[in-house]
Amino acid sequence: MTKDIQFESPSFTRRIKGMLGVDLYRLFHTPLFYIFLAIAAIIPAMVSAMTMMPDQSGNTMEPLYSNVWQIIAASKSLYVIETIADYANMNMVFIFGGIMVSIFIGHDYKSGYVKQLFTTHAKKQDYMISKSLVCALAMACMCITYLIGGTVAGLLVGYETDVSVGSLLVAIFGKIILSLGWASLYTFLNVIFRRYFGISVVSSFFFGTGILIIGAAAIVETLGLPVGFLNVFLYGASVNANLSSGIGSLLICLGVSVAWAVIYNVAGTRLLNKCDVY
Amino acid sequence: MNAVEIKGLSKNFGPKQAVCGLDMTVPMGAIYGFIGENGSGKSTTEKMICGLIPTSGGSIKLYGKDYTDETVRARLGVLIEAPGCFPGLTVFDNMMLEAANLSIPHAEQEVIKVLKLVRMEGAAGNKYKNCSLGMKQRVGIAMALLGDPTLLVLDEPLNGLDADGMRIMREVFTDIVKDGKRSIIVSSHLLGELQKVATHYGIIRHGKMIVEMTADELDASCRTYVALQSAEMSRTRMLLGCRYSRVEEDEAGYLRVYDLTSPEDIVTYLYENGICVTEIKTDKIGLEEYYIDLMKGGK
Repeated sequence: MTKDIQFESPSFTRRIKGMLGVDLYRLFHTPLFYIFLAIAAIIPAMVSAMTMMPDQSGNTMEPLYSNVWQIIAASKSLYVIETIADYANMNMVFIFGGIMVSIFIGHDYKSGYVKQLFTTHAKKQDYMISKSLVCALAMACMCITYLIGGTVAGLLVGYETDVSVGSLLVAIFGKIILSLGWASLYTFLNVIFRRYFGISVVSSFFFGTGILIIGAAAIVETLGLPVGFLNVFLYGASVNANLSSGIGSLLICLGVSVAWAVIYNVAGTRLLNKCDVY
Repeated sequence: MNAVEIKGLSKNFGPKQAVCGLDMTVPMGAIYGFIGENGSGKSTTEKMICGLIPTSGGSIKLYGKDYTDETVRARLGVLIEAPGCFPGLTVFDNMMLEAANLSIPHAEQEVIKVLKLVRMEGAAGNKYKNCSLGMKQRVGIAMALLGDPTLLVLDEPLNGLDADGMRIMREVFTDIVKDGKRSIIVSSHLLGELQKVATHYGIIRHGKMIVEMTADELDASCRTYVALQSAEMSRTRMLLGCRYSRVEEDEAGYLRVYDLTSPEDIVTYLYENGICVTEIKTDKIGLEEYYIDLMKGGK
């Protein structure tokens, strides 16, 4: 420790590479991630199996789905659901994903990790970018285990398999792409409620359910706007990626996901710059 | 150029003023003992230096640059409250993650080097959650040392350390600043330990710096006293109280007569009054007593 003191500005690439490396290492070394992967795989299997079980009188319940791929995505865009089957698809990953992100990021604040990080990393945007990307990857992985769990369960139960392969791929990739937008939203929520872990979890769950789309749908209807306007929201775009979608839906998912990711990252960065780090 | 130069620093939390018009100077190469009561504004000031909380007013310069400058911030080392470690990972893995965060080249060698420095190389493979409080504290200091920091900000780093751990930390601190360019700000309530290592002091109260001084100035400010024991302590105290302005009994049961360097006067005076002194010594008050005196309003 005798050389001359030099102050150098670390490049963005170096900073983000280091931070991403840390977050990825943490993600793949935490049991939490694997628990949520398992949950994502089990949930569609449970939903499929439970709706096929006979009740106490021996009557078989009306099956929730008629087609394997309805477990992955709804048959058409329904912003306000009519049956539980319209709702119980891969969009549920974004609810569990929100909880996972809250726990993952919550630890940064509980442990004092952010104090160490923000002392040496003046740029808060690096933190937002790194968390959003890594949590998006985690949610994308959850989408894949959901796909595997749902497909296996659907085939075992004996649902039909007819589908437009193109639409199915659009629905799957659309939802995976939207993971970025959702992860950015949850990262932002966790920055807002950084001192209140419980509220972070509840708010992530609340936003993940997409319940706010009902209000948005009412506003759209009142203003006489086209229903497609709802696709500018994350949940709207998630619903729009369905078994009757075309390539346009995929582009919408991409645009909406990236746009909201940028909005939430900028907002989160501004908030972190202005607020105290506890 | 000073390592830290703070002018008129203030911080408000709503209507409460945590720090008000604080001036502070930490020269290069200093081990700066930052002292104050609980809630005096020490941690808030340290967090502002580290850029963790925005200031409400005033300026902070680190090595002549604004504290928000990312180049200077990249050369800070910090331990505030607890090190940000992941409990399920080993000490070594936690250190490697911090090294990755800091984009340190040859991270493994650097991690091994700082772990050796804090005598933790043998516990590198232990999971962080299984470490004792003292070991966790050493890990925190090791983390702060990663990346060759020019300024270390350590909040209560000596808490939980055993006697050997404290000795090691003193050696580490002295080693860090020996080139005269790096500096350390240490806040601690263990004033006796702090006095063994600090070269400068800043005493804060109600968010204001009340005294800043070097170790030599502190030494000169510390009052001398004569401490004695006799066969008749209560009568001795009464007699000394009649003749000297300040006589107190300390925790060890000695009577202290302040601002008197020569014990002969006392021995003679007590002998003339029929009291035999069984033990007598001269000494100086330490940082702890100086601080308590200062807080009481005396000196």
